[in-house]
Amino acid sequence: MSTTHPRRHEARVNITLNGQNGDMSDPVPFDATDQQIKHWSLEAIRSGTVSGISPRVAGSLEGCVIDRFPATATVPVNRIFVRPRTPFG
Amino acid sequence: MTTHIVLIGVGALGSHVALLARNLDVSLKVIDFDRIEQKNTLSQFHTRMSLGHNKARALAQTMMGLFGARIEAVPHRLTADNVDALLSGGDLLIDCLDNAASRRLVQRWARRHAVPCLHGALAPDGAYGRVIWDEHFVIDEAPEDNQATCEDGEHLAFIAQVAAVLVQSLQAHLAEGATPSYHLRRGEVVRVA
Repeated sequence: MSTTHPRRHEARVNITLNGQNGDMSDPVPFDATDQQIKHWSLEAIRSGTVSGISPRVAGSLEGCVIDRFPATATVPVNRIFVRPRTPFG
Repeated sequence: MTTHIVLIGVGALGSHVALLARNLDVSLKVIDFDRIEQKNTLSQFHTRMSLGHNKARALAQTMMGLFGARIEAVPHRLTADNVDALLSGGDLLIDCLDNAASRRLVQRWARRHAVPCLHGALAPDGAYGRVIWDEHFVIDEAPEDNQATCEDGEHLAFIAQVAAVLVQSLQAHLAEGATPSYHLRRGEVVRVA
């Protein structure tokens, strides 16, 4: 499944949930709230449009963290990561 | 010119960072108050010979014995009272701690003193890792019921991979001042900044 290239104010969203990982097919506004991103992510997973994440794995994203990385010369698109917490070292 | 690095936390990630950084032109001071338990030998660069010993001191002894690499060991817990004394003199900090409170101490100190700081972090299930320079680092709180399952040895290769990427990012910084940051999943390294 191809993903739409995000525009300047948008971001590509990558989701990791229960060990599975994939990108949302559509970009989202880079300044969307964390709750909006979690809601849209869960809806996308449940609809089966996140390649790499089975709709059956969909649980709650409440424990996940949202990371935002603006575009740089090296990484030329805004990125948002929905990821598990990483408290250990 | 030798860079003075202070590595805080030498458990799963930090012990492997010390191992992999041994050929760099750096001096290394490692800080950890914890002692080595049997389970640590499954996922950390600590050996059975060091069971019961302080992690910082044991790592320094192991690195000297195996490689002739000299490390300064500080067997203390980092606190608000000693953070100035323990981190002063470092040209660069590496945070491989396992709790948010101590990470905050390091982050605040690094920002106050404008000292570069590279953070390494692991998910409890050992399936996700972050190598992030301080500018982009967000400290994750552990859920109250959080149990680390990355200590059982199953995730050793992934832990070593995260440590290797951290040392590669450190090398890029030492060579050209770059600050590449990464997210890691099993078999995948994603540059994020």
